[in-house]
Amino acid sequence: MKKILNRYIGLCILLISIGATAQEKQPLIQSKVGGTVIDAVTKEPIIGASIVIKGTTHGVQTDFDGKFYFQTGQKLPYTVIVSYLGYKKREFTINENSVVIDLTEEQNQLSEVVVTALGISKEKKSLGYTTQALKNKDIAETKETNFLNSLSGKLAGVRITNSQGDMGSSRIIIRGETSIAGNNQPLFVVDGVPVDNSQLGSVGGATRDFKNAIADLNPNDIETLTVLKGPNAAALYGSRAAHGVVLITTKSGKSQKGLGITVNSGITISQVATLPSFQNSYGQGSNGRFSFVDGKGGGVNDGVDESWGPRLDGRLIPQFFSNGEAVPFVAHPNNVKDFFNTGLTYDNSVSVARSDEKSDFRLGVNNQKQLGTVPNSEVNKTNFTINTNYQISKSIKVGVTGNYITTNAPALPGGPQGNRAAGVMLQFLWFGRQVDINELQNNRNVNWNNSYYSNPYWNAYYNTTSQQRNRFIGDVHLDATLADGLNFRFRTGVDYYNDRRKYTIKYGTNGTPFGSYAEDAYTVNEQNTEGIFTYTKKLNDDFSLDALAGFNIRNHSDANNYQKAPRLAVPDLYTLTNSRDPLTSSNTLSRLRVYSAYASAQLGYKNYAYLNVTARNDWSSTLPSNNRSYFYPSINGSLVLSEALNLKSNTLDFLKLRGGWSEVGNDADPYQLATVYNFQTAFDGNPIQTSSQRKLNENLKPETTRSTEIGLEATFWKNRLHFDVAYYNTNSFDQILEIKTTASSGYNSQLINAGKVNNRGLEIQLDGSPIQTENFKWNIGANYSRNRSKVEILDYAKQIQNYTIGSSGGVDVLASVGQAYGALYGTAYLRDANGNIVVGENGLPKADPTKRVLGHYTPDYLAGVTNTLTYKNLELSVLVDASVGGEIFSGTNRTGTYTGVLASTLPGRGAENGGLSYYYPNNNTANGRTLVNGTAPSGVTVYDDGMIFKGVYENGTPNTKVLSAQEYYKASYNISEAYIYSSTFVKMREIKLAYNFNKSFARKLGLEGASITAVGRNLFFIYKDAPNIDPETAFNTGNAQGLESLSLPTTRNFSLNVNLKF
Amino acid sequence: MLKKLSYIILFGLTLTSCSDTLDDINKNPNATETPLAPYLLTGSLKQGADLYWGSENNFNSSLLFVQHWAKIQYTEPDRYDVSNTSFTSLWNTGYATLITDLNTIINFPDAQANSNYKGIALTLRSWTFLLLTDAYGSIPYKEAGQKVTAAYNTQKEVYTGLLEDLAKAQSLLGTTNGTVTGDLVYKGDVAKWKRYVNSLRLRIALRIADKEPALAKQAAIEATTDPAGVLSSNNDTFKFTYIASPQQNPASAWFETRDDFRISKTMVNKLKEFSDPRLPVYAQLPSDASVGTYVGGGNGLSNSDANNQGFAKTSKPGTYFLTSASPAVIYSYSEALFNLAEAAARGFISGDAEALYKNAITASFNQFGITDNTVISNYLNQAVVKYDASNYAKSIGTQKWIAFFGQGLDAFTEWRRLDFPVLTAGPDTVLDGKIPSRFFYPGTEQSLNGVSYQAAIADQGKDLLTTKLWFDAK
Repeated sequence: MKKILNRYIGLCILLISIGATAQEKQPLIQSKVGGTVIDAVTKEPIIGASIVIKGTTHGVQTDFDGKFYFQTGQKLPYTVIVSYLGYKKREFTINENSVVIDLTEEQNQLSEVVVTALGISKEKKSLGYTTQALKNKDIAETKETNFLNSLSGKLAGVRITNSQGDMGSSRIIIRGETSIAGNNQPLFVVDGVPVDNSQLGSVGGATRDFKNAIADLNPNDIETLTVLKGPNAAALYGSRAAHGVVLITTKSGKSQKGLGITVNSGITISQVATLPSFQNSYGQGSNGRFSFVDGKGGGVNDGVDESWGPRLDGRLIPQFFSNGEAVPFVAHPNNVKDFFNTGLTYDNSVSVARSDEKSDFRLGVNNQKQLGTVPNSEVNKTNFTINTNYQISKSIKVGVTGNYITTNAPALPGGPQGNRAAGVMLQFLWFGRQVDINELQNNRNVNWNNSYYSNPYWNAYYNTTSQQRNRFIGDVHLDATLADGLNFRFRTGVDYYNDRRKYTIKYGTNGTPFGSYAEDAYTVNEQNTEGIFTYTKKLNDDFSLDALAGFNIRNHSDANNYQKAPRLAVPDLYTLTNSRDPLTSSNTLSRLRVYSAYASAQLGYKNYAYLNVTARNDWSSTLPSNNRSYFYPSINGSLVLSEALNLKSNTLDFLKLRGGWSEVGNDADPYQLATVYNFQTAFDGNPIQTSSQRKLNENLKPETTRSTEIGLEATFWKNRLHFDVAYYNTNSFDQILEIKTTASSGYNSQLINAGKVNNRGLEIQLDGSPIQTENFKWNIGANYSRNRSKVEILDYAKQIQNYTIGSSGGVDVLASVGQAYGALYGTAYLRDANGNIVVGENGLPKADPTKRVLGHYTPDYLAGVTNTLTYKNLELSVLVDASVGGEIFSGTNRTGTYTGVLASTLPGRGAENGGLSYYYPNNNTANGRTLVNGTAPSGVTVYDDGMIFKGVYENGTPNTKVLSAQEYYKASYNISEAYIYSSTFVKMREIKLAYNFNKSFARKLGLEGASITAVGRNLFFIYKDAPNIDPETAFNTGNAQGLESLSLPTTRNFSLNVNLKF
Repeated sequence: MLKKLSYIILFGLTLTSCSDTLDDINKNPNATETPLAPYLLTGSLKQGADLYWGSENNFNSSLLFVQHWAKIQYTEPDRYDVSNTSFTSLWNTGYATLITDLNTIINFPDAQANSNYKGIALTLRSWTFLLLTDAYGSIPYKEAGQKVTAAYNTQKEVYTGLLEDLAKAQSLLGTTNGTVTGDLVYKGDVAKWKRYVNSLRLRIALRIADKEPALAKQAAIEATTDPAGVLSSNNDTFKFTYIASPQQNPASAWFETRDDFRISKTMVNKLKEFSDPRLPVYAQLPSDASVGTYVGGGNGLSNSDANNQGFAKTSKPGTYFLTSASPAVIYSYSEALFNLAEAAARGFISGDAEALYKNAITASFNQFGITDNTVISNYLNQAVVKYDASNYAKSIGTQKWIAFFGQGLDAFTEWRRLDFPVLTAGPDTVLDGKIPSRFFYPGTEQSLNGVSYQAAIADQGKDLLTTKLWFDAK
C-alpha cells in the first residue's frame, strides 16, 4: 500500500512543479479599461463572470461588486466574450472605459448546469445519464422532521418509505433494489463529505424505529439536493454509489453581498392520520362473557385481552375502575384516538452570511423541539453550522465547513411488534372496546388488563427509550490553480457521532415485574481524504477536454457497547449497578479502510457532442488480499440533436439523446472472511463458547453491478414543455450474500458470492406551463417511474432457490429465483381443484401445508403530480403521489381480526349483523350447534352469532358447520393469505401556500425579504386498498419491507413558516 | 506558496495513518476463530438442557401432548392449533448450535481435545440426533453439517447409525484418556459418562424394538454387557442443574413473568387414583385456600373454558420444578431401570422384569425426595400399581409416564411407543380427536432444503402432526 501512496504523492509533486513553471508574463500595456457586469433584469452585479478578450487567452473575472479591469497590449476597441453560468454568453465590443455589460439569464436546457459526481459542476447537456435536483424550498418548507419524507413524489424513480409514526426512520430507494442482501440506499454526500445514513439498533423487531442518521441535517441549511440515479451517474464514487448518490450542497455566504441575516420560524401541528377502524358493539371478554375482578383471570374472562365479550348495551358489569361495583358496559369509540396527543413541532433558525472579495462565510443555528403524538414523546435537536472560504493568494483558496448536531430525546415512542412493556399499538389491538381511556389517564396504577400489559400511560411515561446523540460533520478543503486550466482540490472530511440510548422499564410493570435498565451506545466515525486534479482545455475550435484524476482514502469505524441490568434491585433507580443479576453485555468494534484511485475525461465536440469516460480502482480491507483490488470503468455520451442537426424551430427548443454503460464494484462488510465462535454469559465460573451459526467465506470476491441507460430529453414552445425519459437495465453479479441455510447444514447462514439480479426501469418526467401570463402562471410537474426486478440466480450451484430477507408473523420476505425481489412467502388456504377453500370436519378452514408466494412488496409503478399556481407573489402548489401495485402483509389486521376489535369483525356478530341463530340441543355444548329452523325447541338458549365459513369439505360438499363469530374470525390467524393486501395508494401528499412579500414592501419594514408559507402534508388518502393501516409503513429502513405489524400510526401535518431576511 | 501547499497535503495524508495494513484492519476484534473444547462442552450442555427443558419443545408442546401440563390461557398449542413455525428451535439449535459445536470438538486435532472430550461430544451429538428423529421422524443425519442441502435419512438409518456412533463413543472414553473440564453434569467423571453411553444404547434398542427386534436385542445385550454398565444410582442421573437468574431453570424463568400453565387434570387424577405420594411434589395447592385439594387443568379447552376453570382454583406444577435451581433431568436412573425391565420383559436380556419395575418406581420416588420405605412398599403393593406380566407395556408405560413428569420430549416418545396410558384429546382440539404423533418440520425446510424435504415426506408421509413415525408401530 505504501507504494501506491508514494505514487500519489509523486504525482502530486510533479504536477505542482509543472504548475510552478507556468508563471504569468507581463505584456506591453496599450489600454486600461474598467467595467461592470450586471443582470439585465435585476440590475444586480454578477460576481465571478468571465471576460475574455476574443482571440486571446487573456481573461479576468468580475469581483465582488461585479467589476472587472483590463490592462492589455490590445488597443481599443476590442471585443470581449462575457460569460457566466446560467446566463447567455455575450460578445461585447469595448471602445471606452467604464462600460456596463448586462447579461440575460439563459432559459433553455443548453446552459443548465448541474452538480455531478465529486461535486464537479457540468453542463447538463453534456451528460449521458440522469440527475434530478430539488431546491431548498422543496425540502425546507415541508417542515418534515425527517427531511427525506419531503422528497416523496417529487423525484422520478425515487421511493421514500416513512417507516413508523412521527419520530421514525425513512427509507430511500433509487431505481429499485439491486442488492439482494446489502444496503440498497444511496450514498449521501454533504458538501463533498460522504456522511453516514445508517439506522443503528433497529434491526427486525427491535422495540424502536430509530431515525436514520441523515435525518440529523437541518433542511433549512440545504441549498440544493441533487440525485444521481444509478451507477452511470455515480461510477466515480465507487462502491457505495451502486444504489445512487444524493448530493447535498449546503448554503454558503458566496452569494450574500454585505451582511445578511435570515430568521426562519415555523410551527407544525401533527395528528394521527391512519388509525384502524374499530367496532363499538362488543366489549372485552370471550364467548360473550366478562366481569372484572383483578384483570388477570380472577373474574370472568378478565385476563382476556380481546373483545369477544358482552354487547356494549349499557348492561351493568364490574369494570377495572369501579372497585367491584357493576357499572354500565358501554363503548368508548375514541378510546384509542384519544390516547394520542396533537403533536407540536417548533422550528427556529437564524443564519448570518457575508462575503467580500477574499472571503465568505455563513453561520447558522437551528433549534427544533418536537412533542410527538404519543404522550410524553419528545425530541430536541440543535444544529450549529459554519461554512467559510478564504482566498489566501491569487491561486489558492481554503475553506472549512462544520456542522455540529446535538439531539436529545428524553422519550421516544415504543415500536412495533411484541414489546408488551413499551409497544403502543400492541395493546390497542389486543384491547377491550369498552375501556375508558380517561380512567387510565387519571390513574396510571390501574389497568384494564393485568395479565399482559400495564396501563398505556404508565408505559408511555415510565417505560421509556431515550436517545442522546452528538454529531460533527465537517471538512477542511483547499483549491489551488496550478496552471491555466489545471486545478487541484484537496479535502479531508469527517463524520463522527456518539449515539447513546437508555431503555428503562419501571419496577412493577406487568410482564417485567422487576423492571429493567439498559444502555446502548454507538460511536461512528467516517473519514475521507481526497485529492483531485482537474484539467480543462479547449483543444481547438471544435474539441474541448475536461479531465480529472484523483485519489481517496476512506476509514470507517463503528463501535457498540450494550449493557443491561435485566432485573432491578430497587425501584426507580436507573443505573447499571442497581441489578439483581449479573449484567448482560456485549461490545463490538468494526473497522474498514478503502484506498481508491480514479480518473475521468470528457471530450466535447462543438458544444453538442460529448463523450465521458471514467475509471476507478479500489483496494478494500474487507476482501481477501488476492481479491482486494478491483477496477471498474464507465462510458457515456450525449448528443444535442437540436444543435447537431439544426432542428431548432418555433416548436422544438432542445432535443438531446444520451446513453451510457457502467460498472461499479462493491466490497463486503468487515470481518466476513473467517468463521468465528462467540462467547455467551459464563455459567457459574465456566466460560461458554458457541458457534456463531454463520459460515463465512475466506474467498470472497467483490460484487459487480453493470448498468446501461439511455435517455431522451426535449423542450418545446420556448420552454413551456419539458420532457425527459430514461430507460435503464441493471444487472448485479457476484453479490455477497449471507444466505439463510437449513440448520442441518451446520449453520443458519452461509456467506457466498452469488446471484444475478436484474432491474429494468423506465422514468418519465414532464414539466409544463399551460398558462403563463405576466401575473399568473400554472405549472405542472409530473413524474412516473416503474421498476421491474427479477432474481435470476442465487447460488451458481443452483442448490438455493430462496434467500430470506426478513420475516414477521409467519410470512417471509424472499428473494426467490425467477421472482421479483421481495416476494411475500407464507401459508395459504388449502383449496380444492376448483379453487374452493377446504374446511375440516369442524368447519374451520385448513392451511395448505405447502407455503407459497402470496405477493411482492415492490410496487409496479410510482407517480407524482405537482400543480403549482402562481399569481403575483402568491403561490399554491398541490402534490398528489401514488404507488401502484405491490402487496403488504398486515399484522394489524391479523391481530385485530383475531381479537375482535376491528369493525371488520362485526358482520355475523348478532342477528342485526346477519348472524345465524343456533342452539345446542339440550343446552349441552358437547352436542354441537344446530341452526334454528323455524322455531327452536323450547327451553334451549338461542345464540345469534352463527357463521359458516365459505368452503367445502374434502369430499367437495359445501360446508354447513356453524361456527360462533369468535371462532370464525380466529380461524385464519395462521393463514397468512388472509392478511395480504394490495399496497396501492394515492395520497394527497402536500398542499402548500406561499406568499413572498414585495421587496419594496419588505424594505419599508426594514427587511431585505420576507415570505410566509403554510403547508399541509399527508393530508388524506385519495385511494387505498389496505384497510386499517397506512400501506406505506414498514418496520425500519432494511430490505424486509412489505411487512407491517402493530406499527405506530403515521401523522398528518400542518405547518406555518415565516422567513425574514435582514 | 506552492511549497506550503505540498506541506499541507502531506500533512493531510498523515491524518490517514498508514501504519495498519489492510489485513490487520480486517482481523475481527469481537470474536475468536479458535474455540476451546471445555468451553464448547459447557455451552453444549447448557444449551442442550435449555432446549430440552424450555418452553417450545417441552411445556408449550410435548408436555401438553402427553397431558402432564395444561394451558389455562392461550390454549392454541394445547388444542394442537399450531403451525410449521411452532417447532423450529429443536431443529435450529439442535443442528446449528449443538451438533456444530460438538462436531468442532470431534474434529479437533488431538492436541486440542483428548479422546475423552471426543467421546463425550459424540455421546451428546447422538443424544441430539435422537431427540430430533424422535420428534420429527426422518432427519438429515449422514450429511448433516456436510452439505448445504443435506439429504434426510430414515429413522431406521438414524437409529442404526446412532448405535454405531455410541459404540465408538464408548471406545473413545477411558479413565486414563485424559482429564475433562467444563463438564457441568458429571464433573469430568468418565466412568459415569461410560454408563450414560450404555444407557443411551439401551434407550435406542427399545426405540427400534417393535420394528427391528433382532437388532434391538443385540443392542440391548451390548449395552448391558459392556463392563461399564448402565446408570446405577440416582447419583448417575444425567441432569443439568441450574443456578440463579439469569442462569435459572427455563420453567422457573417463565413462571416469573407469566401464568398460563397448570398441571394437567389427567396427571392429577392418575396420581390420585394411585394415591401417589409424588402428587404434592408434582403439584401445588390452588392459591385459593378454600379449594384445599389438588385440581388439574383440562387439556385442549377453548381459551374461555380454560380461563373459566379459575386461575386461583387450579394447581400450578410443583415448586420442585419451578425454582431457579431446578434441574433439567435428561436421563434418570429410574428410566434406566424401566428400560432394563422392558428389555427383560421382551426377553432381550435376562433379568426379573417385575423387580426391575419396582426398583424403577422406587428410584423415581427417591429422585423426588420420597425415601420412606413403608410409603414406597404400600404404593408398590397396590393392585393398580402391581406389575402386569401379561401387559408389560401397560405397567411400564403408565409408570414411566408418571416418572417422566416434566421430561416432555421423552414422555411423548415413550407414550407413542408403548401406547400407555390411554389418553383422550381434549374437547376443543383440532385434529379430529387425535393427539399429535410428531412435530412439524420447520416451515423453512420447504424454502431452504426443498428437494430433500420433498423426498423425505414422500417416503414418510405428509408433513402433518398426525403422521405416524416409523418407530411408532401402533
